[in-house]
Amino acid sequence: MGSITALGLVLLVLMIIVGGKQGITSFLSMVVNFGILFFTIVLIAFHLPPIIVTIVSSVILLSITIFWSSASDNASTTAFQASVIVLILIVVIIIPIEYWAQVGGFGLEDSEELEGLSTYVGINFTKIAIATAILSSLGAVAEAAIAIASGLDEIVSQHQAITSGQLFVDGTVIGKQIIGTAVNTLFFGFFGSSLALFIWFYGLNYSFGEILNDKVFAAELIAIVVSLIGVVTTIPITTWIMSFKLKRLHKSQLKE
Amino acid sequence: MDAKLTNKMTWLQILLVVAFCFLAAFFCQHNDGLYHQTIYQVDQVQNGRAVKMTDEFQNVDHYHTQQLYGTITNGKHAGQKLHIKNSYSDSHAMDHQYTKGQKLFITVHTQPKLHATVKDIKRDAPIAFLFAIAISLLFVILKLRGVTVISSILINTILFWLAIKIDHNNNGAAVILIFSILAVIFCFVTLILVMGWSKKMLVTLSAVLCATAATILITLIVFGVTQERGVYYESMQYVTQLPKPLFIAEVLIGVLGAVMDEATDIVASLATLKQERPQLSRMDIFKSGRQIGKSIMGPLINVLFFIFMAETLAMTLLYLKNGNTWHYSFSMNMSLGMTSSLISGIGIVLTVILSSAFAGLWIKGDER
Repeated sequence: MGSITALGLVLLVLMIIVGGKQGITSFLSMVVNFGILFFTIVLIAFHLPPIIVTIVSSVILLSITIFWSSASDNASTTAFQASVIVLILIVVIIIPIEYWAQVGGFGLEDSEELEGLSTYVGINFTKIAIATAILSSLGAVAEAAIAIASGLDEIVSQHQAITSGQLFVDGTVIGKQIIGTAVNTLFFGFFGSSLALFIWFYGLNYSFGEILNDKVFAAELIAIVVSLIGVVTTIPITTWIMSFKLKRLHKSQLKE
Repeated sequence: MDAKLTNKMTWLQILLVVAFCFLAAFFCQHNDGLYHQTIYQVDQVQNGRAVKMTDEFQNVDHYHTQQLYGTITNGKHAGQKLHIKNSYSDSHAMDHQYTKGQKLFITVHTQPKLHATVKDIKRDAPIAFLFAIAISLLFVILKLRGVTVISSILINTILFWLAIKIDHNNNGAAVILIFSILAVIFCFVTLILVMGWSKKMLVTLSAVLCATAATILITLIVFGVTQERGVYYESMQYVTQLPKPLFIAEVLIGVLGAVMDEATDIVASLATLKQERPQLSRMDIFKSGRQIGKSIMGPLINVLFFIFMAETLAMTLLYLKNGNTWHYSFSMNMSLGMTSSLISGIGIVLTVILSSAFAGLWIKGDER
């Protein structure tokens, strides 16, 4: 048995102990997400337009992550709508930034690994960098949207008479609590995954200016800051959708 | 009236944010004097004809050449006009297509006469622009809380850099020890900033530390039992020291944020619960903790999964286009990301158990 299979089994058992049926669903959502991610790469390798393929699979990935979580129907629908809007926002920000910074492809630090590989493969790597940045933000956006939507849904179901204005205030309060820690998840994930790169920079005496303008570092930094922007904008967008729905509900109740 | 006031506020805010972002970018466009490296501004570009080329795997690409005319903007050659040749491919994997107005880092040679080669493109302006957007959004949406968030990131970055310095001075001999100590300090600082000094914070801290330690222990046991079959350390990127301890340290730091995020949520909710209904037994508290954790863990595991996996995309794609099988491309690029995701998942699930248990044991109804 390989290590990946063994670790997967340990995780599955632990998830079943903690979550029962929900544990199995959460585990499956990770497996299916992996399948979709890999399939996305294969489609791009077949020369389908990278950005469009990424956006389509992002919507699927978001829906799996959100609808297979244990959030209530109202909360998960709201979270999904909000995260798709955030996804569009991310795409709008990331495309000009990536073309401006030109961080696509590989840096000098990758030379050793590229040995023996042909890099003239006819796929625009700037677009691949855009795809990478979009994909790496999905989990964080989905998580924030679920957390805020669930919190608001709880409030709505407990106080039916709450006004949409009051709900907006509550949403911002919940959002503030969530963001403080969600930002840590993102940044530690970033620190962890680029630890080797930082040690490399330090070992080779890169100056601050060299690090900031380095292709590999800039690519990672842009991806993480874009995720941060996604997570932060999730707060008002989720809250806005939730209070819009509440307003509509109140209106239809008035008519009756 | 109130609505009008807030509307006005928002417009003013939006204007300020936009101005701030462009100012940041503008400053970076004109900070050439701060760099030691020679910077060159492209004033004019002449594009040559494209040449079609095919590699041994029948990938079709186009090769272009371009002539750049521009001026050196800093250093002792400042103001001198220079002509540089550049070539690029459609895929831009290792090369760039330069356009008018861009700033580039160049290496200047004075023998036999002044000429230069392009090293890289200057990227600080777009990064500053993006940072400015992020920082202003944090302040607009989170108000004062934004200060805590930003200072926590700043403090942790400095600590991280110090740890790397210590690691380097030890020649990478005790990576795991150094980064374990760093992890403890990270948790302490971050949790103090998020929760303040309280019993709740101590409960969270102990849950986080125990869960992380247990995770690493489980990982090492699994690696031992399976003899690390399918873990390709040689595929790790940017490795300058022994890969295995480095990998463990990477995962350790990577999972920390998610574990803290989750433990804070669970402990804070359980403390509120116990306060509202002090008659709840330890077992009841533990069970509600599990209930909360059950719904958070799935999305949280996916956060790290996407961070760890997305960055392997470009290299995996290149492997596939170089005629490698799906299995080989996965093993050499994505398997380590997958391993990290699974280990993080284990950490996240263990945190649910430990933080619920610790909260049940130590949190009493009469304190916050």
